[in-house]
Amino acid sequence: MRLAPGDEAFAAAFAAKERWAFDEAYTRFGKLLYSTAYHVLGSPEDAQDCVHDALTRVWRSPDSYLRSRGALRSFLTVCVRNEAITRLRSKVRRRKLEERVAAEPAENEELGAIDVIERDRLRAALRSLPPEQRRPLELAYFEYKTHVEIARELNEPLGTVKSRIALGLRKLGTALGASE
Amino acid sequence: MTDHLGELAALYALGILEPDEQRAAEEHLTHCDACRRLLAQAEADVAAMAAAQPQLEPPGMLRAPQPALRAPMRNPMWLAVAAAVAIAVLPSGYLLQQNLAMHQSELMESQAMARLMTGPHRTVAFAGTDARVMYAPDGSWYCIIVRGASAPFHVMWSHDGTQTMLGTAMPHGDIALLYLPKSHRMDQLSLMQDGHVVGQAQLVF
Repeated sequence: MRLAPGDEAFAAAFAAKERWAFDEAYTRFGKLLYSTAYHVLGSPEDAQDCVHDALTRVWRSPDSYLRSRGALRSFLTVCVRNEAITRLRSKVRRRKLEERVAAEPAENEELGAIDVIERDRLRAALRSLPPEQRRPLELAYFEYKTHVEIARELNEPLGTVKSRIALGLRKLGTALGASE
Repeated sequence: MTDHLGELAALYALGILEPDEQRAAEEHLTHCDACRRLLAQAEADVAAMAAAQPQLEPPGMLRAPQPALRAPMRNPMWLAVAAAVAIAVLPSGYLLQQNLAMHQSELMESQAMARLMTGPHRTVAFAGTDARVMYAPDGSWYCIIVRGASAPFHVMWSHDGTQTMLGTAMPHGDIALLYLPKSHRMDQLSLMQDGHVVGQAQLVF
């Protein structure tokens, strides 16, 4: 019977592509990764597919995860979230294409399938940020807008938006007890 | 990118960089330890946000796919053999192909959307089908879209008594799409499935 390895040994085994570490990633982080994907995609099936595809891609790419990248949990969470955002953007694009094809007036709505800002610990933590940092971070995290789109929407210079997002993210991470 | 990431690390971790910036950041990260550490912190912050949202139980047990995935082999001598085996035999090879196909299809969708949103275009239906071709008045691009498609469609150009295969519209979601940047005008297109013509479109320039 394999004893549960420590975080360091587990991350090192994942970096070294030891098969048991791939299974262990599902055991340890499955719920977090699934929830992360679900909050973006709003569908259980899509969320599961997204977790599988993101982890498979990481596993199959040589040197995708290096120990110098920091905590494996954070790395995989960001990989799954980015995969989910890519899928969501593709879904929005396809829907707009369909609208074009059907010769209906294009709607500039964003995907409204998910009630994005749930009443949760994250929302409470966001309230602790000054509004000029909170708003761009909300647009980035919950609405998946690029920094260019955010700057346009808030009518702020790009550099200002970048700084505020970076500053807001670090403050929020500290408030939520993020550790590398 | 030769400059360090700085604030872009946060944007990278949030997944909100523009595609060209993201590629440049990834390239820089391959050789800069300082930026990898900076990104590790930003990723930890984003992961803390994700963990602070309501956590949900996956429907059923979320397990690693079986049979066992093979880690990539680092010896270049074996890479070609391993890739061939993976693609031909293993289900995981199929997954890899699926990922590649998905990203290719996303690229095509992006290009088509950019054209349709910004450039003037005309629309003609393929007679007898729910398919259309949208195209530039100067013939510089064509976008073939089949709604409700569940199987691939081949697109042919009829000219001078011959048929030239232009490509295949692959279904992705509810539509099949083929985007064709071209340098000439094509006035007669056909859609084919299982060796039969299922629709024809007469384009006007």
